Amino acid sequence: MKRFALSLLMPVLLLVDVGSSLAQDGLEYRLEATEITPGVWVVEGSTESFSRENGGNIVNTAFIETDVGVVVIDSGPSRRYGEAFRALIETTTGKSITHVLITHHHPDHAFGNQAFEPETLYMLPASRELLARDGDAFSDNMYRLVGDWMRGTEIVLPPNTLEPGEWQVGNRRFRLLELTGHTGSDLVVFDETSGVLFTADMLFYDRALTTPQSPGLDVWAAELEALEALPYRWVVPGHGPVVEGDVAFRQMQDYLAWLDRTLSQAATEGLSMMEVMNLPIPERFEGVAERRHELIRTTTHLYPHYEKAALALLPE
Amino acid sequence: MRGWMALGLALLSVTVQAGFPEDPFHSPMWEYNLERYLGDDSEVVHDERVELQVPPFAEDSAQVPLTLDLTAFPEPAQRIVTWVDLNPIPHLFTYEPGADPVRLLSLNFRVQQATTVRAAVQDAEGVWHLGSAYVDAAGGGCTAPSLTSANPDWEKVFGTVRGGAFSRAEHTRYKLNVMHPMDSGMVGNTPAFYIEQVALYREGDPHPLLRLELSQSAAENPMFVFELEQEAPRSRLWMRDNNGNVFERHLGGTSS
Ligand SMILES: [Zn+2]
Repeated sequence: MKRFALSLLMPVLLLVDVGSSLAQDGLEYRLEATEITPGVWVVEGSTESFSRENGGNIVNTAFIETDVGVVVIDSGPSRRYGEAFRALIETTTGKSITHVLITHHHPDHAFGNQAFEPETLYMLPASRELLARDGDAFSDNMYRLVGDWMRGTEIVLPPNTLEPGEWQVGNRRFRLLELTGHTGSDLVVFDETSGVLFTADMLFYDRALTTPQSPGLDVWAAELEALEALPYRWVVPGHGPVVEGDVAFRQMQDYLAWLDRTLSQAATEGLSMMEVMNLPIPERFEGVAERRHELIRTTTHLYPHYEKAALALLPE
Repeated sequence: MRGWMALGLALLSVTVQAGFPEDPFHSPMWEYNLERYLGDDSEVVHDERVELQVPPFAEDSAQVPLTLDLTAFPEPAQRIVTWVDLNPIPHLFTYEPGADPVRLLSLNFRVQQATTVRAAVQDAEGVWHLGSAYVDAAGGGCTAPSLTSANPDWEKVFGTVRGGAFSRAEHTRYKLNVMHPMDSGMVGNTPAFYIEQVALYREGDPHPLLRLELSQSAAENPMFVFELEQEAPRSRLWMRDNNGNVFERHLGGTSS
């Protein structure tokens, strides 16, 4: 992969270069940026699970132009994605990247870090600790699930940390929020200037939520309520289509509440873990991709807590 | 020639197989494990009424759920043996019945790699009825250190037993959980340390309602589910691990 230093002068040439160097093994991310509102761009991934077909491009990444440079949200699932993403940002905006905010430590959001200048990478301190702790295990799993797309990908811990609160970059005013529902440390970025809310994986839309590090569905639901109170106009979920208004929140709250209720009720009825994985999913969630797959995963992660709570301590 | 071999497809394979029907999953361990756990002259048939449920993939290789549902099986099981074909020690549990036959059994297991899982249920004639299932896995469940013993406070929770009895129409379901590392003995220098024997008694009755013998494929902090064809009596749970620790607890009637 060639350097990007010339990209400001030769955006078209660079694009060709990226295409030809990656085409050799046929694994090429075809990333497209959509402008939601002036200067706010989203690169929408599929709502699938990781596979060798999608190369892990199942995530939404974004970039926002300011008058001092570009703020990027998440780096994607692999080095190769990060490189294609960076090329796309630079050709689209013609500006240099000042900040890359990594919303949480999941591989699809943080494994493209290598493609960016280290000094531009930012993360919440707790998220960064999680990335340091789980990164290698995630990496093994990603190589297993998506294979060659991962080639050359190494974990890069952002050197810079973020604090929640008001955050000004040039002519844009952001609000950064630190939540916990999805992984224990989840960054949400609200662009107050444009009214676009980047929820990252605190919100899934038309895609079942994932829970491997969630502190609990009740915690998540409560935080979601607080998030929804922000004066947003557009919502960019971590996975699933960008939408205007509250439709994504409605679906997510409904789904979360159903999951929580279903797991508690199953525990009170003494269902086994396997029986819970096989429970019917209401028809109204038919549009939620990967719902059975994620019910199997979530049951593994969270049902033991519900089960134990429904049992009595047996004295000796 | 065994009587059951006269049936269906099994007849075709009689000249090349040792006498077992063909494995629809083509596991390399098929005959070896049948001989090992059921005996080489045992009669074996595939039987859909032995409903063995495992997920299509293991989200956690150290905790893979298994439920054996025998509600469609027409007679009481005389004995049940379950195993995980490609695990270093495949055996999961052996069940022996008491007066009330079991309708449903659940226990989480470990997987070392993607594998077939088997449940063999013996009928009164001695024939083994087999249920099979396949689980995909990243693996390593047998050689991953237990979370319990990695936790410095594990001794405080060691041996904690939780339980409940759930009434289901005319049946009773018991759910029992014990905090135990269930070390497989395959991780570094940690010796095997696991619960070998489980028995459930009706209070005041010396004959068990059921007995289980466990092996190293069982997951840590086991959560047992047993559904019996009876009303819930006051009962007593008894367990012993391979180090001689005995755990004994009493359980009231139906709690919900
Ligand atoms: Zn995530």
